Amino acid sequence: MTHAADRIILEARNIVRRYPGTVALKGVTYRVHRNQVNVLIGENGAGKSTLMRILAGVETADEGQLLLDGVPIQLHSPRDAAQNGISIVHQELSILPNLHVAENIFAGREPVTAGIFVDRLTQDRHSAEALRRLQKPVNVRAEAGELSLGCRQIVDLARALDQGTQILILDEPTSALSNAEAESLFQVIQELRRSGVTIIYISHRLNEVLHLGDHFTVLRSGRLAGEAPRSDVSREWIVQHMSAREIVGSCKRVQSLPQPVLEADGLTLPSHFEGKTTQTPLCDITFRLNKGEILGIYGLLGAGRTELLECVVGKRSISSGEIRIDGMKVKLSSTVDAANYGIFLVPEDRQNDGLFPELSIRENITLGARKIIFLRRADEVRSARQLAKDLNLAATDLEIPVAALSGGNQQKVLIARCIARSPVVLLLDEPTRGVDVGAKAEIYAILRRLAQQGIGILFASSEIEETKILADRVLVLCQGRVAAELGISDLTDEALFSFASPLVSAANARSGVAPA
Amino acid sequence: MTTTTAALPHNTTSRFAVSARALLFMLRARALLVLLALLVLFSILAPSFLTANNLSILAKHVAISAILAIGMTFVILTGGIDLSVGSVAGLAGMVIGYLLTEGVKIGETIHYPSVFIAIVITIIVCMLVGVLNGSLIAKAGVAPFIATLGTLYVARGTALLISGGKTFPNLAGMPSRGNTGFPAFGQSFLLGLPLPVWMMLVLFAIATLVAVRTPLGRQVYAIGGNQRAAVLLGIKVARVKIFTYIASAFCAALVGLVIASQLEAAHPATGESFELNAIAAVVLGGTSLMGGRGSIAGTLIGACVIGVLSDGLVMLGTSEFWQMVIKGTVIVLAVAIDQLQARVQARFLPILLQARTEAE
Repeated sequence: MTHAADRIILEARNIVRRYPGTVALKGVTYRVHRNQVNVLIGENGAGKSTLMRILAGVETADEGQLLLDGVPIQLHSPRDAAQNGISIVHQELSILPNLHVAENIFAGREPVTAGIFVDRLTQDRHSAEALRRLQKPVNVRAEAGELSLGCRQIVDLARALDQGTQILILDEPTSALSNAEAESLFQVIQELRRSGVTIIYISHRLNEVLHLGDHFTVLRSGRLAGEAPRSDVSREWIVQHMSAREIVGSCKRVQSLPQPVLEADGLTLPSHFEGKTTQTPLCDITFRLNKGEILGIYGLLGAGRTELLECVVGKRSISSGEIRIDGMKVKLSSTVDAANYGIFLVPEDRQNDGLFPELSIRENITLGARKIIFLRRADEVRSARQLAKDLNLAATDLEIPVAALSGGNQQKVLIARCIARSPVVLLLDEPTRGVDVGAKAEIYAILRRLAQQGIGILFASSEIEETKILADRVLVLCQGRVAAELGISDLTDEALFSFASPLVSAANARSGVAPA
Repeated sequence: MTTTTAALPHNTTSRFAVSARALLFMLRARALLVLLALLVLFSILAPSFLTANNLSILAKHVAISAILAIGMTFVILTGGIDLSVGSVAGLAGMVIGYLLTEGVKIGETIHYPSVFIAIVITIIVCMLVGVLNGSLIAKAGVAPFIATLGTLYVARGTALLISGGKTFPNLAGMPSRGNTGFPAFGQSFLLGLPLPVWMMLVLFAIATLVAVRTPLGRQVYAIGGNQRAAVLLGIKVARVKIFTYIASAFCAALVGLVIASQLEAAHPATGESFELNAIAAVVLGGTSLMGGRGSIAGTLIGACVIGVLSDGLVMLGTSEFWQMVIKGTVIVLAVAIDQLQARVQARFLPILLQARTEAE
């Protein structure tokens, strides 16, 4: 074994992964360096999560192979991966809130005595040991649901450690954490690295990864865009390799009328919602959306983008602040209210929040269009055809189930549905998530056209390029607050990034990675 | 023909598409095919099966389970379930029985409402149970199974309480009280068909119209297909759900009235386990218990299958025990085939789409 190969603990060679309609990974070779913090960066849809799911055995690659210490391995399940010492801590923590901490750590592999009974003592002892290693002496008999998010994450980490993990994948681990919690997580990570664990760290937060990372890999559109050790990496290097320059020319902007159609004043959303503490709180958000204007909301994961849109569409109730439509104060206590004012949302998660998979394209478009007693099929067909033609929907037959369409066309169906209801304000959450490049350009053009017709458009995005192409003005959110409002002339990659990244505390700043 | 279609020459694709379409059609129309097969089978095995007299009895039986099942279809299309319909039918009989035989005491005098008023009151009482079901589920967030299981007991208990567990006999009414004529509700004929069969047909027509042609019907499908999307779309989910439970309770009330009228007596145990028959008919008709997929016409056919199966088996002299075994088997098979259809459809859809595009 050569010296170089010795440094590589895990290699994913020429990985290809196809999904219906898209290719998520187009032959990626990814090397994980032994006993280092390997940072993986890329925009949404770049293929990071898919690659990690393959490494963790959640999915299998269509082509390519995995080499652990130079030996080819096959991972067919997360259990296989765990046996090879690879574990993942997901973005959405996989904690069972109704069980104790120790029960969580041993869920699915309970130690037993006499072959039948759970050996609680062993379970507790091992759990306490794992938690001690993480320097978090959590009571192992505490109910997991009562712990803070940071502690829950530690429990997830403890589970991975107790399985004898050699390679630990952390997928956006700080997105739900407070600064202090993140800080203590960083210490834990350093501690783990010292004890010989290899870390793969995925994050959008530049300050964070520059502080933590030893080796950097950037993915872009399913390909490897760059690879370098920390000494060769700077903020500029990352930004430059991350943003895709291949897409879509900018659309022509027109001067929007300074006539506000939607105004939000001091919107505040508490973090407790229906007894759960899962949502990102919003704090004192104020903005104005003019008629015919496209306002972008840019922010990292957990910045509160989706929450803000859901407040405006009445899905979440704000605790204070007010919303005005055409200068009139309104109370949006449900999506029904919002619909009555002409506010509609194209959600981020099309499959779960948008489409009716059992219904046809026509029905998906015309659903809820008008207040009438009887539906007239002929009218429906006519209006659905018209909208399909306007939006250049690639389907000749509108009676087929909507599930048969590609991501981009499904997105057009959702936009068509909103147009059919004559919107005043159109909200879009990640307007082109899971949409291929060609359809992206079309969707941008459609939105621009709608804005020209006087509709106010508010979209949330985590993609820099999209925000720059589409928005007339951008609101940058960071941890539930407005960090900046940028006009078109201030709209640079660097500005978006630095305003969106939470400040790393003074201790880190001293260590040489002060935020810009 | 196992390779991907892209590699196939044009005519093979379309021939393949034709057979795929035929298979899909047979899977979709399976309830109807089963019904026809049963009719043929029973008319061969039991020569008296196809007589006018027997068919009239059969139609009455079918009408009762079909009426219940039509209401149940709306509930199931939203992804819910209504276990209380049998009890509500029993309650309906007891309410009308009480009104016709005991009357309403106002002050010192006892008033006997006319048959029409009594029927209206009964239906309203039953629909209130529907409102309760719907509110518990849509407003209070109780799981449909539990909420309607609760009202199943409450309605049955109330039915027993009304008479102290006794039967109300002789619902024919008395001319002196001005409340005669109730037996005609379930026993009379119109244009040669029993009145309950007409009720079934009219309900079927209205329900189909609502399901297919009104925004309300579309919203029922939408909620069952994807409730989160329905909420985001601004559909009044709670209101639509409550409507479905009211519709179900209304149908149950009709069934209770028909049975009480046919027997000219009201027994508090009437309608026990009817809910299971109704659910079976809905499922046989191809409606998914997960909601979002199904049709009223399918339910009607499902009710016919169940009616023909039980009456036919009785005519053949099959023991009651075997009848239960056979009925259960048919229901489980129906759901298994439903799963098969979903899978076949998912597999063949791209092929059918391609064939269609090529044809254009």
